[in-house]
Amino acid sequence: MKAVGARLPRYDGVAHVTGRTQFVDDVRIAGTLWAKALRSPAHHADIKSLDVSKAEAMKGVLAVITWKDVPLLEYGHLSALGIPADEPLLAKDEVRYKGQPIALVAAEDEETAQAAVDAIELEVEEKPALFDVRKAFDSDAPKVHQWGNWYPHFEGEMDRRQIRKGSIDEAFDRADTIIQGVYRPAAIEHVPVETQVCQVVPEADGRLTIYSCTQALYFSMGVVAAHLQVPLNRLKFVGGTVGGGFGGKVDTATETMCSLLTLKSGRPVKWRWTREEEFLCSSTRAPWHMEIADAVTKDGWILGRKMLTLHDSGAYSRFSPYGLTKHSFHHTGAYTIPNLEFDGYVVYTNRVPTTAMRGFGVTSVSFAAETHMSRIAKELGLDPFEIRLKNANRIGDTSPNGVVYTDPSTVPTILAVADELGHELPADYRTMSSERREGEWLPEHLVGQLGNPEDH
Amino acid sequence: MRLTVNGVEREIASSPLTPLLQVLREELGITSPKAGCQQGGCGSCTVLVGGAPRRACLLPVAALDGADITTLEGLGTPEALSPIQTAFHEHYAAQCGFCTSGMVLAAHAFLENGGGTERESIQEALAGHICRCTGYVKILDAVEAAAGGEVTSNQRWLPQTGEEAPVEVPGAPA
Amino acid sequence: MATAVETEADVVLPTSETEAIEAFGDGSSVTVLAGGTIVVPDITYGYTKPRRVLMLAGAGLSGVETEGSRITIGAMTSVADLVDLSAPLGPCAANVADLEIRAQATVGGNICAPPGRDAPRGDLQAALLALDAQVRSAGAGGERTESLEAFLAARDGRLLLDVSYEEPASGAFARLDRPHTHDYSALTVCVARAAGGTIRIAAAGVAGPAVRLPSAEAKADDPEAAGQAADADATFADDALASAWYRERTLPVLVRRALTQLQEAA
Repeated sequence: MKAVGARLPRYDGVAHVTGRTQFVDDVRIAGTLWAKALRSPAHHADIKSLDVSKAEAMKGVLAVITWKDVPLLEYGHLSALGIPADEPLLAKDEVRYKGQPIALVAAEDEETAQAAVDAIELEVEEKPALFDVRKAFDSDAPKVHQWGNWYPHFEGEMDRRQIRKGSIDEAFDRADTIIQGVYRPAAIEHVPVETQVCQVVPEADGRLTIYSCTQALYFSMGVVAAHLQVPLNRLKFVGGTVGGGFGGKVDTATETMCSLLTLKSGRPVKWRWTREEEFLCSSTRAPWHMEIADAVTKDGWILGRKMLTLHDSGAYSRFSPYGLTKHSFHHTGAYTIPNLEFDGYVVYTNRVPTTAMRGFGVTSVSFAAETHMSRIAKELGLDPFEIRLKNANRIGDTSPNGVVYTDPSTVPTILAVADELGHELPADYRTMSSERREGEWLPEHLVGQLGNPEDH
Repeated sequence: MRLTVNGVEREIASSPLTPLLQVLREELGITSPKAGCQQGGCGSCTVLVGGAPRRACLLPVAALDGADITTLEGLGTPEALSPIQTAFHEHYAAQCGFCTSGMVLAAHAFLENGGGTERESIQEALAGHICRCTGYVKILDAVEAAAGGEVTSNQRWLPQTGEEAPVEVPGAPA
Repeated sequence: MATAVETEADVVLPTSETEAIEAFGDGSSVTVLAGGTIVVPDITYGYTKPRRVLMLAGAGLSGVETEGSRITIGAMTSVADLVDLSAPLGPCAANVADLEIRAQATVGGNICAPPGRDAPRGDLQAALLALDAQVRSAGAGGERTESLEAFLAARDGRLLLDVSYEEPASGAFARLDRPHTHDYSALTVCVARAAGGTIRIAAAGVAGPAVRLPSAEAKADDPEAAGQAADADATFADDALASAWYRERTLPVLVRRALTQLQEAA
């Protein structure tokens, strides 16, 4: 294979440096209308009335859409993974986050489109909003979602992602001490330099050509087809040129609404978010609340972990149950802990729905798991490298969800870092490998806990 | 109102308060400068005005009557890249490519003004430009290489496998 | 496909100071556009829909003139052209945004900037207050020259023409920045020791325009004490860059640093 290991030019490199790369906003289609959105001014409110007639009547306006124009208003983007639909494409009876789209206008120019949006008459009655995931479980908490304040549709209609392994009670009994920590990473904006943008073109044969900045072309195609209730072959998605996504452009945020405007107006339509919309209304990486309590021995073995995760999904589910699931499988980090009690909840709040970003679900728990290891080392007065190496995954160790490790690289990685930093380690640590545990690296609590790689 | 853009004199019909960015992109169809924020915060709209880098999203066209504008297209073509463009390509200084237009023009102006290989002064020259993909290091490497004369112009960059021809991919069209 | 700014606004392009003053009148019927770094995005985002724009680019109002020890700076002088002046104005100007913005932004725009929506504006006000600058302006009631402090208290309806000050004996500048070099400063402190020895201290990034810190000035010989006294002269607000709480605790530190720098410069 000539390509592997070779230094190859980017196939799009010359286009990038000569300004020839065509992003969605660079596509030029004659007769294209500008789209603008009416967005919820409130965090949580009932919609008392919505009157778009003044916008529709405005000169230069060719289409206005509301929830009534959407053939299938709610579609479960991950229904294939068992996550049912909960989010309307455009708000119907209520709004659950500030910035939620309620109506869209397509007009001859940007100024007219904005004036039309401003002319839409919207009456809302605000209700109490919930922003703190910790309060979601209080009996007097505002009710955010039709299913309650947390997702109840995990397998077997469980209301949490649960992992039980071994006996956490025994681990806590046998521990020399329990070490606790709470970790709360905040929401993060993706801030791609290219904002959300979409251009839809009606073709003479009745199909729609959709220029999209999505990171997930086929996925978005399926979402649009489902909302529009058309077969896939009615849509032609053009994309793959994304001005930065980082997980924030998998939400199919613009394509469906833009398509509806095109169908209604008969004209090409472009919707380009302003930077303000991008900051205020686009989905973020989720905030998390994680509580860890580890049962540890004074020489640094982690016997068991009790963990509670509250994942802030924002106002709707989107991909959060999936993100939490991945999170749960990795809640021990790169380390082997045989006794586990993990409970994770997808919690709804009145914030912009959250989404993937660089390591969806796992980045948060890696941060917590690693910080907690350092905390344990500090509290026990142990070397932070040694405590990690001891508990590091080896061949034959098992993950929280029972997968047997066949080729973990934790030990050599930590040793390489120690080497790079000039961190001194005792001889028996320096010669450690990923091989199946035995001798001093097979503590009593792991005897009988190892799996067989050949069985998988 | 008249502008000279990439050496070509153009009559401008846009209203006087229209930002240069919109004049270039919408009226003249020159799409290399980007609308990243339209408030001067990201640098993706930067073009050269009389050779100096300026935010096109902040300049009302009425203030530019008779000005000489250079966009990325005017710096070099795929057949004849300028040194800074070659440097960016060789050093993988562009990933998604959205910030690239502004970055390259700012870097070009820096070099034209006698900018050298000192990292801090390169950083200062590019301080107004946000990149969310590369982490900036390769961009600085590219500008440093160009400042040090390590690239030449008019050269289509070839893969460094020691072969004259691009790498062969089995089954791909010739 | 048409764009945002199909506004029917009149644009007036005066070619001299006299024409500019006449077109400005009492300021009630025009929107002044200096560098454009503030007004143009406001138009783009629809926050302002001006009917008549007074574009000062060609009115000959820029330039730095030195007459003996007196420095006079035209309102349309770019922030970039101030960077090589002595402290505190020079370093304060160098800290504004990045070179592209500095080349376009003007000292007049910086002094007259309305409060920022999410971040403070008008860093240079602190430097010029510390320098005891005088402002020459036109408007209803004609032309007048007054202290910058007086001008800041009643900016509406005034067209700033130039700002002047006596070259200081020494100056210093300290600020609270976010990591990216081109962000707005959350808090800026400037100090200047006049030729006669008086020390003036001013801060920008407080609630409202920049203010002098007389309580700190009274203890200027003791940077620590001056810092402790400074909060009495300022009120603070929350914004996207920093909270009032944080600014209140940072101002004393910046005052102490600037005064220490000033002592070391002597």
